[in-house]
Amino acid sequence: MRRFEPGHETVPNLAPMVDVIMVLLVFFLLGASLDLIKQGVLQTELNEQSGPGAGVAVQINPLVRIALEDVNHGESVNIYVMEEPLGENTFDGLFRFLDARRRAGADPQNMVVIGAETTVRWRHVIQAMDAAVRAGFKNVQFAVSFRTPGAGS
Amino acid sequence: MVDVLMCLIIFFLLASKLVSAEHFPVNLPWAMAAKEVESRELGARVTINVRKAGASDESAEYVVVDWDGQQIVERLLQPEDMEALLRSRAQRAGATGQEPRCVIRADQDVQYQHVEVVLRACGKANVAHVVFSANKLEAAPAGGAP
Repeated sequence: MRRFEPGHETVPNLAPMVDVIMVLLVFFLLGASLDLIKQGVLQTELNEQSGPGAGVAVQINPLVRIALEDVNHGESVNIYVMEEPLGENTFDGLFRFLDARRRAGADPQNMVVIGAETTVRWRHVIQAMDAAVRAGFKNVQFAVSFRTPGAGS
Repeated sequence: MVDVLMCLIIFFLLASKLVSAEHFPVNLPWAMAAKEVESRELGARVTINVRKAGASDESAEYVVVDWDGQQIVERLLQPEDMEALLRSRAQRAGATGQEPRCVIRADQDVQYQHVEVVLRACGKANVAHVVFSANKLEAAPAGGAP
């Protein structure tokens, strides 16, 4: 047994603690900065007259009206443009349609109104918005109430 | 050195906590047009997360991630309280001369009617700037079928 000798100072070995702290540091450093999936945003500005607003029924005359009809309870959608079924019922087809319209001289500030049945999945609504934004339309609005195309005005 | 390392750990611990507040786990939809923005660019904002409630498609719940003065807490929001929350935040933002924004982070599988609730509340509360969160899609999915 070692006896305490005055004048000799015992220093604890800090190396293991520093190692552990370094590991923790690296963990939180990566945790704070690592973003495997990049997130972004799609912006819109609600129109007081035509957007959801206070739910007031105001007749609007948008440039393009897009309607999404639910198929098989959210499995897919039928896409209508200006109350007519889109020839190519895909969101790529919608993009091409809108893009052609833009190239034909449509004003990017003109309104695109997206209406969807209440049971349509959110991803389909976002895909429709994505197509409109990619085609260069900046004013995308959402209709709150949706009437099935062909069910009368 | 140990003191400095401890400070760094606490810093990154808090930073990761704050990051997770902005990235509340929601299965976001994908969009090619989604634009990456710095959170400060969004200014005064209320982030409302819309997620599925249970296995049913019929219901959803609204979660607001808030700082309660001591820690970040998740708060379930009733649809009828949404307008009041947005209105109070809009007033607070207005007092500081900022434009209020509503960030909607909705699960890609929720029904549109649930997001509509938030949109309607934004309209009633005069929060015109609405931002939808989406995952950045680098390439178009094959066919882009609905």
